[in-house]
Amino acid sequence: MNILVVLRMIPDSAGELQLAEDGRSIDREWLDFQLNDFDDHALEEAILLKEAGGAKVTAVAVGEGANRVLQMAAARGADEVVALQCEEDAMISSREIAASIAAMARAKSADLVLCGVQSSEDVFGQLAPYVGALLDWPHVSGANRIVANGAVLRVTQERGAGVAVTYELAAPAVLGVQTASKAPRYVSGSKLREASKTPIGRATPEPSGLERAADIITLRLPVQGGSGENLGGNAETVADRLVSILAAKGMARN
Amino acid sequence: MASTLPLWILVITALALTAWRSRRYAAALANAPAAARFNRPMLRLQGVMVAIGMHRKMLRKPLSGVLHAIIFISFFVLFTATIDAFGSRLFPGFSLAPVGGETWIAALQDVFSVLMLTGVGLALYQRYVLRPARFDGSSGSDAAIIYVLIVLIVASLLLEAAARIAGGTDGSWRPVASVLAGLLDRAGMSAHAGEELFYWVHVGAILAFLVYIPGSKHRHMFLAAPNIYFRNLEPRGLVPAVPEAREVPGIDSLGQFDWKQQLDLLSCTECGRCQAVCPAYAAGLPLSPKLLITDMRDALAAGPSAAPLVGGVISEETLWACTTCRACMEVCPVEIEHLPKIIDMRRHLVDEGLVSPGLQEALSNLTRLGNSMGKPSKMRSRWTKELGFPVKDAREQPVDVLWFVGDYASYDPRVQEITRRVAELLTAAGVDFGILFDAERNSGNDVRRAGEEGLFETLAQSNIDEINACRFNRIMTTDPHSLNALKNDYRHFGAAFEVLHYTALLAELITAGKLDLHVADGARVTYHDPCYLGRYNGGFDAPRALIRAAGYTLHDMPRCRENSFCCGAGGGRIWQGDDGVTERPSENRIREALSLGDVAYFVVACPKDKVMYTAAIDALGVAETLKVVDIAELLVPRTSRAIEMPTVET
Ligand code: SF4
Ligand code: SF4
Repeated sequence: MNILVVLRMIPDSAGELQLAEDGRSIDREWLDFQLNDFDDHALEEAILLKEAGGAKVTAVAVGEGANRVLQMAAARGADEVVALQCEEDAMISSREIAASIAAMARAKSADLVLCGVQSSEDVFGQLAPYVGALLDWPHVSGANRIVANGAVLRVTQERGAGVAVTYELAAPAVLGVQTASKAPRYVSGSKLREASKTPIGRATPEPSGLERAADIITLRLPVQGGSGENLGGNAETVADRLVSILAAKGMARN
Repeated sequence: MASTLPLWILVITALALTAWRSRRYAAALANAPAAARFNRPMLRLQGVMVAIGMHRKMLRKPLSGVLHAIIFISFFVLFTATIDAFGSRLFPGFSLAPVGGETWIAALQDVFSVLMLTGVGLALYQRYVLRPARFDGSSGSDAAIIYVLIVLIVASLLLEAAARIAGGTDGSWRPVASVLAGLLDRAGMSAHAGEELFYWVHVGAILAFLVYIPGSKHRHMFLAAPNIYFRNLEPRGLVPAVPEAREVPGIDSLGQFDWKQQLDLLSCTECGRCQAVCPAYAAGLPLSPKLLITDMRDALAAGPSAAPLVGGVISEETLWACTTCRACMEVCPVEIEHLPKIIDMRRHLVDEGLVSPGLQEALSNLTRLGNSMGKPSKMRSRWTKELGFPVKDAREQPVDVLWFVGDYASYDPRVQEITRRVAELLTAAGVDFGILFDAERNSGNDVRRAGEEGLFETLAQSNIDEINACRFNRIMTTDPHSLNALKNDYRHFGAAFEVLHYTALLAELITAGKLDLHVADGARVTYHDPCYLGRYNGGFDAPRALIRAAGYTLHDMPRCRENSFCCGAGGGRIWQGDDGVTERPSENRIREALSLGDVAYFVVACPKDKVMYTAAIDALGVAETLKVVDIAELLVPRTSRAIEMPTVET
């Protein structure tokens, strides 16, 4: 089985986000980027599938810092790693990259395309459905367990409150992964160093061929609070202060 | 003599049995990987003299030390009796009499027999009446068998001499045996039969002792000296690198340990000193440095088995419990090296990706961002914004002192205030200093001790490259952990920096008259020696000098200086959960400070300590009686307003 995993780099949420001049995007110049967490799980699931039944895993990464993440993917067991060139300093739009991913899936004769169910820049979780549609392959999102038996896939999907359904579908398919069957593994620095010798392939983007359906008109950053008050560590003074706050707000009698 | 042949047979059989019982150990040592422990013979010998001749570490526990010294010296004196006993019958005609065997040597043997029995009596009293907790887990039967054998050997020696005296030999050089001779007489024992009986009991017990030793902790009689001789002479703060010959970073079978690491296992005396000082053991975690060693020793003795070393003989929880405080190695009288073994086995776990979620997160953050908190590099120098003056960028301008700030001091809001205080003190003293801003990375000290050698190399190389690109005279660190890495571990890459802890630099500035301080009114404070400043790097005096210079009176805790008790944060523990901890080491330590009864401040000199001990004090609900202050907070330049120290009741 050939598996293609998509790894998207997203702005590190621990960084200080600032609006770009146009007010419609984030200024990416000073940001650190990290791998989208769901994509990390997709990669882990791909490696687990490889370990369970044998597969060739190709990881394709998009965005700033892709090389670093591809080395990590190689250290974890990806057989081939490719960086997909993309527009610098721009958000990664699923709509834009779907055609490139689909083309790569064909070129690599993939039987399975895995990506994270969503990313902070694609909260709709559109990448899997787009790629599925472009390839005309079946697609399931929200997967948290994938079992392959030849070309037959069993995909379990969490529906909340502990309810889980399992689909059976035939490869080739596109799956959006919510969580891997096991937490993503740790790769040691020595394995990373070794993997840093892995050659990283390059792929140029395909035109998306899709009309833009809607535009972002504004982007708002969270308003910084400042309303918190530290009540200290002494139980008595904390209690006193709490009572007086509640009283001041009319929620308790003093 | 008629007994020559039987004795020869007995001796040869005993020697053969002893060799047979040692075969596994001998084979293990012979097949072990090499270790470079043959350099500097004079220094090595000197260490053996101090350790054994002066019983230096032994005497830190006075009763044990004294009783061991008695047994030890008596053993040497009584060895003359052993030579005599075997020599005279194996080689008919041999006798010590020409050199005094029947006069002064006889007198010594007589007296030291009694001393030996006294020593054993004290040992029995200690083990069975006092029963110190450090013996928990040591083999009781092994100790008992040895006591019985020693008593047999010594008693039969005395009685044999007594029988000879009863038979008419002159007893004036053997007062004790003479008294016993009288008793034998009264018991109506025939002198000749008695002499033969006690002789054979004597040599029999000695040979039994010999045969017994290979399977007993009393191997240390033979192995302690070599183990001390071949001790590690490298700086204490340098973790042994992964040997070139090893293909993977870690160790997962005993045979991969080099011969010195294996010799360690065989040399353990089960004295439990290491267990008594171990913070992980005290916290209720499944780690006793003693059992770590003896469990591996027993596995070595059992030969190749199905149980894996890591995760079998030694559990993962045991390995992760260690704070790398080095207290165990500091007290071990035979210089056993616990830490290199723990780190080598951790290296295996890390390489296999077997790490707890907390550790995985910290290590992943360190891989990605160079700090364990997952904060962007750009925020590393944020703390400087609230200073009233700019801090030089050492990458752009030459500086006298390059300040390596460290993760906690840079990022942790609870510590940043202290970091700024240090900056102000340096400025007040006119020090020309700069920092690396976002180019600094975690020093890798605890990364390396968590077994993540590859990541350590990446972090260290990045720091070394940045530091080498700067122009400076000396490096100063806030964090003792960074101090240790930069000073010791970075030698691994050929880097030789002059590195100082801020307490050392500040003490130097005060001595040089460059920093004039407000002097407090002598309030009593206590001070916690951070493991990586004190035990690892000998930084005991500068912090104490600073406390005095600031006008405080130091009241040390019972466990201070090299015996300091770890806060529990080191070696990657700070990134792990508290699962299984019954008493946090930091709380144990705060209780110790409270027991002094008269100190208002708990003074620290490590950013992690500020965090750990403030949390401990809150958890114990004693914030009203004891306050954690960093040394830098005690130092107030005269040029600025005296600070209001928080008031506490004592
Ligand atoms: S280094 Fe400290 S925590 Fe680790 S085993 Fe030794 S005494 Fe215990
Ligand atoms: S390792 Fe050292 S300190 Fe610990 S029990 Fe053995 S001999 Fe004693």
